[in-house]
Amino acid sequence: MLSEGKLRTLNDFIEKTSKEELIWVNGYIAGLISSSMPKDSPAPVTNKKFTILYGTDTGNSKKLAIEFTAIGKKQGAKVKVSGMDTYNIEELAHEKNIIIIMSTHGDGDPPPSAKKFYDRLMSTNTKYSNLEYAVLALGDTSYPLFCKAGEDVHDKLSNLGAQALLPVQKCDIDYQSTASTWFQSYLNSFPTNDVEAIIAAPVTPKVIPGKKYYHGIVKAKINLNGRGSNKETNHIEIKTEEPILYEPGDALGITPKNKPELIEKIFSLAGIDSNLSVPYKGSAHTLKELFTKRLNITYLKESQVQKYAEIAGQVIPKVRMDLHDLLRIYPLSKPYQFIELLPSLTEILPRLYSVCSSPQVHENEIHILVSKSTFEVDGEKRYGLCSDMLSDFKEGTSLEFYIHKNKSFRLPSQDTDIIMIGPGTGMAPMRSFIEDRDASGATGRNWLFFGEQHFTSDFFYQSEIQQFVSTGILHAVDLAWSRDQNEKIYVQDRIKDKGKELYDWIKNGAHILISGSRSPMSEDVEKAMIDVIYAHSGKSAPESEAYWNELKEAGIYKADVY
Amino acid sequence: MSNNLSPVEKIKTKSDGLRGTLVQSLADHLTGAIREDDQSLIKHHGMYQQDDRDQREERAQKKLEWLYSFMIRLRLPGGFLTPSQWIDMHHIAGEHSTGVIKITTRQTVQLHGILKSHLKPTLKAFAAQRLDSIAACGDVNRNVICSAHPKESIIHEQVFSYADKISTMALPKTNAYYEIWLDREPLLKKEEEIDPLYQDRYLPRKFKIAIAIPPNNDVDVFTNDIGLIAIIEKDKLLGYNISIGGGLGTTHGNKETYPRLGTVIGFTDTEEKTLKAIYEIITTQRDFGNRGDRKQARLKYTIDKMGIDQFKSEVESRCGFKFEKERPYRFTDRKDHFGWQQNHEKKWYYTLFIENGRIADEKVAIKTALYEIALTGLANFRFTANQKLIISDIEEKNKKAIQDILEKYDLITHTEAASPIRRNAIACVAMNTCPLALAEGQRYLPTLVGKLEPLLEKYNLLQDPISIRMSGCPNGCGRPYVAEIGLVGTSYGHYNLHLGGDRLGLRLNKKTYEGINEEKIISILDPLLKKYSNERTKYASFGDFIHQNPALTEH
Repeated sequence: MLSEGKLRTLNDFIEKTSKEELIWVNGYIAGLISSSMPKDSPAPVTNKKFTILYGTDTGNSKKLAIEFTAIGKKQGAKVKVSGMDTYNIEELAHEKNIIIIMSTHGDGDPPPSAKKFYDRLMSTNTKYSNLEYAVLALGDTSYPLFCKAGEDVHDKLSNLGAQALLPVQKCDIDYQSTASTWFQSYLNSFPTNDVEAIIAAPVTPKVIPGKKYYHGIVKAKINLNGRGSNKETNHIEIKTEEPILYEPGDALGITPKNKPELIEKIFSLAGIDSNLSVPYKGSAHTLKELFTKRLNITYLKESQVQKYAEIAGQVIPKVRMDLHDLLRIYPLSKPYQFIELLPSLTEILPRLYSVCSSPQVHENEIHILVSKSTFEVDGEKRYGLCSDMLSDFKEGTSLEFYIHKNKSFRLPSQDTDIIMIGPGTGMAPMRSFIEDRDASGATGRNWLFFGEQHFTSDFFYQSEIQQFVSTGILHAVDLAWSRDQNEKIYVQDRIKDKGKELYDWIKNGAHILISGSRSPMSEDVEKAMIDVIYAHSGKSAPESEAYWNELKEAGIYKADVY
Repeated sequence: MSNNLSPVEKIKTKSDGLRGTLVQSLADHLTGAIREDDQSLIKHHGMYQQDDRDQREERAQKKLEWLYSFMIRLRLPGGFLTPSQWIDMHHIAGEHSTGVIKITTRQTVQLHGILKSHLKPTLKAFAAQRLDSIAACGDVNRNVICSAHPKESIIHEQVFSYADKISTMALPKTNAYYEIWLDREPLLKKEEEIDPLYQDRYLPRKFKIAIAIPPNNDVDVFTNDIGLIAIIEKDKLLGYNISIGGGLGTTHGNKETYPRLGTVIGFTDTEEKTLKAIYEIITTQRDFGNRGDRKQARLKYTIDKMGIDQFKSEVESRCGFKFEKERPYRFTDRKDHFGWQQNHEKKWYYTLFIENGRIADEKVAIKTALYEIALTGLANFRFTANQKLIISDIEEKNKKAIQDILEKYDLITHTEAASPIRRNAIACVAMNTCPLALAEGQRYLPTLVGKLEPLLEKYNLLQDPISIRMSGCPNGCGRPYVAEIGLVGTSYGHYNLHLGGDRLGLRLNKKTYEGINEEKIISILDPLLKKYSNERTKYASFGDFIHQNPALTEH
């Protein structure tokens, strides 16, 4: 684009200029260009994309991190924000730009919440030559080792090859104005216009027909329930080598396997060789293979139990039972009877789990939320086959899965308001919706209803939700805790409490997305919605119900309930 | 005066009488915490926001916020509860808090682990028993303490009543507590809230007042901003010597901070003059205290900066009278009178050993036993400034009923079997709830004492009531700076070892070792205790032995 002469002059200039000076020049020129542009031109596309990591003790660092995130987003930047206590330091290798906001605690130490991150950083040899960073250090000048922890992090990152965009900024207890000025100069250090941004703009993945299986590895498994909870609900992050084609609202399909120990017990009770080859659906399989991957052996239906009774020649009550228990309590007399059972057994069905991540936010990753379902058999606690298997996953376990498309459960257009109702594991798709709307800069408002048993132990994704509220992504959140007070409170009660506002949103064109248990939850929510319409629209009761049915038919009310 | 006010000063003055945004904070259902500025304000209502520090990391992983809860400390001048109040407190602790009732070093109790949504129900339940937590923390006059045992003097009741009088005089005038926590209506006339004592800025820092009845210094009178020493002659209260400028809190690494014992500046005779003197000492601190640096804001620094004489004359000119010359007095003890005691009215008192003031059903069922005693309605309850409890005012004819309950729960043996060092030990709360703690306090001191007891036994010192006190941070709630053995937390498992305080609370100890662990603590104390044992007759106490032989701790 430039003539050779101009290019030479420019290169000469660049060679003689320090990096800091170049950053200034860059900002200066960008300023010149933008001020000369016509006023009604669209906001310049930026490639400002950075992650803010904070280590906080009294909450000041966190407060600044949230504030910077909001400012950054308003200016069109893509900002991720995370506390050092929740940040996996291995992610650092994938970051391009980070801001560190770090307070100093006691005798020059990092705050306890950042200690793990700090210790691991201090002891690592990983090179971060692609990383650019800037450190804002908070402290108190009445301590001798003022802002020491922040300085340590700055020096260490520099030693590891990362580039400091700005010198470390130290702040005393009246940090606010220094911090704001510093952040503005940080933002100014980015080029204001860049082609890369256009390439990097989100592309909706194309759907490939047919069921594609992905090979994934469990990256993290976290029981989201705190101590004292009655529940175990696992947030599972699965990583793949290739991009996963999915959209918020989709489900992940997985076929559980039976536990090897259990199969061995069954073969031993039946007195049969597990390597015996038998015909099944037209081809030969060993019993081991069939019983591991194909046949369901848990919680057999009454008809299957009665078939077993017939083969065993025993009287068994009309109940559902596991095959293992049948063999244990009502033993077969001959091993061949076991083969006779095969036609009555059914195949293991894949289980579907609502995806709780957005592909825009987590590259080559998919997250699900799995409640470890329990039921009792003869007073003994049992676990659902698949939720049990998933809950037993450890980091590094590999698995196969596919994407189950859910076309009727999709986000509406970017500028449409949404009302999300997702109690319990119904929260899963809501997280993917919120993440997606955050990443894509959707302008519609977002309202979340969530409920569980206890506030302190069962508030799924609490810290993320708080962050979405403080960065302005979530406009309203209403919570229902069923067991925190004498009377039971559920999401439908909160819906009625907020009836007027809710009806205003609906009138304004908001879509309603609901996920969780069909009965009674979604039925109660629908009743509550009709009540809300009746109470606030001036319509008669039959008209209100008709209006609700119209919303359903028009796909304005979308449900993924089970 | 520094124009550079500390952030807390701005929060106080713009708080509209300590209201801030507490109502909005309580209504925010997304978090168990309250807004940052409100965290400073809520202290003035007797509460601290805390969190379970043991669970911080785990909860962060789980994407849950920290497990926030609140500590509520009652305002209990002189530390007195009726049986009916006790019964309700017992139930409140069970329904809303961890269940443990913690006796503090300031003669009151605090409940921990109260969730934000339980704060109002808790305070309403206390209000039904005419109990409140107003000004139990914060930059105001805190709970006023007084020598606890009625047998100290025939006129104990008369002296004791000053605690309530002073507390009432120094209550903030704002109606905020009643509106926010008890849902009462705002005052019709806003002028009634005008506060001539605290104005709109309150004090630069916390303020503590104690009353001692010689010869017992059980309240550690010289560790308070104001200490009143009752001067009694022939069973008549003549008035009080007034000590000012005591205070223990320090900050690690900040050489400008130090503990200081109070200085006696004179004597006042009438109640009117005594109260006036207290009032004007507070206003002088209000007007001259450092509001730029909270670490230089206690009265002790104000006095040292102004000079004691100038401070005194400022107070005298505000009072409109001069202090009389201080009267002679003598402290010979600093202790609780364990077991059964009788006062001049022939009423009985049982002082119960409660390790670090934790009333719970742990090794022995103290909590159940005290509840049962309360149900009889035959005894009142008094807290000591050393985290112990006096079951009190028992008629001769009822003594057996109380004795039977104490025996049923093994509490007599529990009290008698505790070694003197264990009985006198004090530890603050520290981990896992106190946000300031750097190291363990009450969860660890019993273990350490358990390791010292065999040494004491070996050196024949087990009956020697050596005072040992532990604080999880340098702020000094456990009063470690006036102990013979003081331990001040520096980091997890590490303490500064202070030695050489006297047994009566008249001399500060000295920091002898920094940041040492248990093994080191014991290896230092072992030879010192051995040598002390050999020379036992020459010294009044272990603290005096160390103090008079400074070479022993030089290193």
